Amino acid sequence: MACRTICQLLQRRLASSATSVRLSAAEVRGRRSAVFSREQARQRSLYPRTEKIEVTLQIPGLQGTLLVMNKGLSTPHSCARHLTEWYVTSSALALVDGKPWSLHQPLTQSCSLSLLTFKDTDPLLVNQAYWRSCAALLGQVLLDAFKEDFSVELLRLPEVLVTSGAFCCDVVLDPQLDAWNPSEESLRSLTRGAQQLIHRDLPWEPLEVAPPVALEVFSHSSDTHLRCVFIHVYGTHTHSCLTLYLSLRCGDHVLLSGGPLVARTGLCSQYEVTAIHPLGEGKWGLHRRAQGLSLPLQQQAHHTVWRKLRSRAEKLVEVPTGSTNEAISDTLTLPSAPEQTPPHTPQQ
Amino acid sequence: MRLTIQMLISHGRVARKMGLGPESRINMLRNILTGLVRHERIETTRGRADEVRFYAEKLIDYAKKGDTDEKAMKMANFWLTEKDLIPKLFKVLAPRFETQPKAYTRMARIPNRENLDKAAMAVLEYKGNPFPPLQTAKRDNELTLINQLLKGYREQRAQQAAGTHWWVVL
Repeated sequence: MACRTICQLLQRRLASSATSVRLSAAEVRGRRSAVFSREQARQRSLYPRTEKIEVTLQIPGLQGTLLVMNKGLSTPHSCARHLTEWYVTSSALALVDGKPWSLHQPLTQSCSLSLLTFKDTDPLLVNQAYWRSCAALLGQVLLDAFKEDFSVELLRLPEVLVTSGAFCCDVVLDPQLDAWNPSEESLRSLTRGAQQLIHRDLPWEPLEVAPPVALEVFSHSSDTHLRCVFIHVYGTHTHSCLTLYLSLRCGDHVLLSGGPLVARTGLCSQYEVTAIHPLGEGKWGLHRRAQGLSLPLQQQAHHTVWRKLRSRAEKLVEVPTGSTNEAISDTLTLPSAPEQTPPHTPQQ
Repeated sequence: MRLTIQMLISHGRVARKMGLGPESRINMLRNILTGLVRHERIETTRGRADEVRFYAEKLIDYAKKGDTDEKAMKMANFWLTEKDLIPKLFKVLAPRFETQPKAYTRMARIPNRENLDKAAMAVLEYKGNPFPPLQTAKRDNELTLINQLLKGYREQRAQQAAGTHWWVVL
């Protein structure tokens, strides 16, 4: 059922591709952000009257505490704000009735809530979410980094295990840049871009949307990449409701994710873009894998340890290539049109 | 000697004064050392524990020479006031520290004594004693992000080392 609507949308889109107007990157982002805000407002308007829900806390030391929150409006973040500042700053992810839940996603019914940090006895979920968020940040930095004349297209943000040493982001750059290999200076300027985003401490705002709306959000991208989204949307998500994780207010970047991200960019402290490896010719051009390494605020490493981990992160990380119908879904960011905003020139 | 002002100022003088005089100091240290050899973990004031440490380790060095050695037996006889501890020193403590070159004792500070004097206290023990450990090293959880990254790093290094083992020529 969902498949048919997607097929129809795609055909309509491809049929009208010849007459479509190329928009600048900023405009595309603005439109996406507008669609996102519209959808967010629509979802909020589903609860016209403030209804109360009961949230039971499952935090060590506060077991069984009952919080009375607003339905469709309160998030685990607001629950944490009712406690102490430590909970707000240290919690990275929430568990609602046993399911991983983003900190800024509204709660819709009475449930049990527990807040997860990096120092729990079992931080596996938090580690994976953090790795995904860092990859999303890397994707965002790459989109912003190049000049308007060069197109940057993000393919996917593959799900990598933490023990592999680095998070990855598959990119396709403009054909003019095929011969370009990043020098240390360019990697450092990318790192600086990421550090600026981290310093701004922007939250990742999630929104659950249905597939047609997701395709509408990304409708202004070029056809080849819409096909990529189509495969991703249709192939990886079997349930009708698709979770869309969006990053507003960082240049209005919007991205599609298969799992929850951590609360905000400020949770990362040490962040470095370590390498960009060419993967060879693929469907969309020369595929490249950008890799990075990061550690959160609560788990900072001594510089000797960091140097060793970084030298490991420079090596290419092999991602197990499965079919698109895998249960583990990748985070996908759609490319904007070829023109990009001017790069942040590092003040030297 | 000349009665100078310098005698009243003790800047840089490291030798501690204990008890009524040097002889009293040695007697006190002898008693504490006997208690340490008997119980292997004792609680005293910080200064006394620090002083005894030196003598405790020197005693073990003498005991390592063996009980047939004349000097070692004389030392043990002098320092241990309870003579049933001399066989314990030569037969239990000396063999325990055969492989170690030095550092036979451990000192840990504890809260001040509850008495009026509120003396700073310490616990002195011979390593390898049968009691539960004084301080357990706090290890961070294996599954934290940084530990997982380090685990991956160590595994990769081990793989590389195993991979290049064939090329090592002795």
